[in-house]
Amino acid sequence: MQTLISARNIKKSFRIGRKKRFLAVNDVSLDIFKGETLALVGESGSGKSTLAKLLMRLIKADEGSIAFEGQEIEELSEKEMLPFRREMQLVFQDPASSLDPRMNVRDIIAEPLETWKVYDSREKTDERIMELLDMVELKEDSLKRYPRQFSGGQRQRISIARAIAVNPKLLVCDESVSALDVCVQAQILNLLKKLKQEMDLTCLFISHDLSVVSFIADRVCVMKDGEICETAPGEKLFKSPEHEYTRYLLSSIPGQ
Amino acid sequence: MSEDLLLELRDLSVSIVGKKETLPIVKGIDLHIPRGSIVGLVGESGCGKSMTAKSINNILPPFARVTGGSIIWRTEASGEVDLALLKEKEMRKKCGTEIAMVFQEPMTSLNPLMQVGEQIKEVLTIHGVERDNKKAKDRVIEMLSKVGIAEPALRYNAWPHELSGGMRQRVMIAMAMICQPKLLIADEPTTALDVTIEAQILSLIKELCRNNSMSALVITHNMGVVSTLCDYVYVMYLGSVVESAPVKELFNNPCHPYTRGLLSSIPHVGDNPEFLHTIPGNVPDMKKHFKGCDFCLRCSDDIKQCFFEKPALTETGAGHFVRCHRSLGA
Repeated sequence: MQTLISARNIKKSFRIGRKKRFLAVNDVSLDIFKGETLALVGESGSGKSTLAKLLMRLIKADEGSIAFEGQEIEELSEKEMLPFRREMQLVFQDPASSLDPRMNVRDIIAEPLETWKVYDSREKTDERIMELLDMVELKEDSLKRYPRQFSGGQRQRISIARAIAVNPKLLVCDESVSALDVCVQAQILNLLKKLKQEMDLTCLFISHDLSVVSFIADRVCVMKDGEICETAPGEKLFKSPEHEYTRYLLSSIPGQ
Repeated sequence: MSEDLLLELRDLSVSIVGKKETLPIVKGIDLHIPRGSIVGLVGESGCGKSMTAKSINNILPPFARVTGGSIIWRTEASGEVDLALLKEKEMRKKCGTEIAMVFQEPMTSLNPLMQVGEQIKEVLTIHGVERDNKKAKDRVIEMLSKVGIAEPALRYNAWPHELSGGMRQRVMIAMAMICQPKLLIADEPTTALDVTIEAQILSLIKELCRNNSMSALVITHNMGVVSTLCDYVYVMYLGSVVESAPVKELFNNPCHPYTRGLLSSIPHVGDNPEFLHTIPGNVPDMKKHFKGCDFCLRCSDDIKQCFFEKPALTETGAGHFVRCHRSLGA
């Protein structure tokens, strides 16, 4: 299997107070293979989101190296980084605050397409937008409507359409279904799984909900206090967890 | 039987009252909370579960009003009281001392400019339970250690921002429990928390209920929480109860298609389906009146009758009530 992203010994600390530093990610090495869904689980404060930001180079690591399709991206300048930006897209937790309330759905989905100048005419862009709406199962009449007119689940569909518009290689979902109701959550999870199969996406899925992870992930990384304590294929991890902390997490799921 | 009930909602209706029209959001629900038991209320967002809870201690938002039915509160001290008819002043005495509430977001429900110990102590002094400052402080510290906060004397002087989410929720529970209420209403108490902390808080609520012979009403959309915590469950859909049963019965034998849909849309560790089951469609608009069953447009095994007649809540087994034409053998 080919690796899409490989990170070696990355460290990141943040300043807290005058002299103290908080080590958020401590010496983590990680590979994400092409076409797989890798889940990052752990409690809040364990460094999952920081690690995802480091991998996308939204923040710079203190130490270590990150390679995207074999090319080192850690030392690139912002300008050199640009072509890689298109290949990695994000879906956030709260769809209400990650969509611009003053833009209608067409403009929201068109923005990445126009920024990257994917199509040279407006007609072609619109065609692509219709195709995207169809992929995320939204109705055509949504185009002229605004985010506030949609329910939470529909808003999350809009965010997903925006993220996959430019055919990225990596989709990062940071707690993308945590704010949704069970029924809607099931719909969005099905959608993500379907899209992944159709588009051959690689997905980094961050969640603290282990039952969600067991449904969607091929491989699971368990994080605690900035370190990865166990990485294993989903089925194996849930059947025979090796690390003590993984067992503790699994035993905490209510109603199992 | 009815003497054992601490709280009884009889045909309770809550509506949003506007200038031109009123919009019913809770449509005549009956809910019983026996003494010493934990009752769950589940449903999707917008189905009226929080409104039901808020109507109990009269903290409905200004645009909503109880429009019918009664809320019967039974205690040895005051006998039978209808909370819906109480004046605000009398209600205020009951809030906190007899009925306490824990909300979902512990950060926004704590005062950021007050040390947590002082905030808890305020409950005691305002209700006049403990006027002596020193004794009150001792009681707060004792309560903090009961809810599992390490070094309670030190934490007394902590500010809310210095505590983690789980700790804040523990402070909220301590605040709710300090006057030894008879009923704890917990509105999504663990939704904002991690699984590990969630498990701790759930077992804390369970333990406190058992040790203090307290009842609880737990509102949640997480079926896992319901199965670990509750004795009896009500499932709400669009402002009415569609199914209610003892917790084991509900999970083993869900009768209403909505309950079945809810249960099967949760992913489980261990079984790996290709796709999750989903309930088709969305929650319909509450403004539209429909003479048939509220669920029939999303139901997979609807019959003709569903479109013309609202089903009634009927008992199908011991303590198991369902609102569905199909379950009656029609």
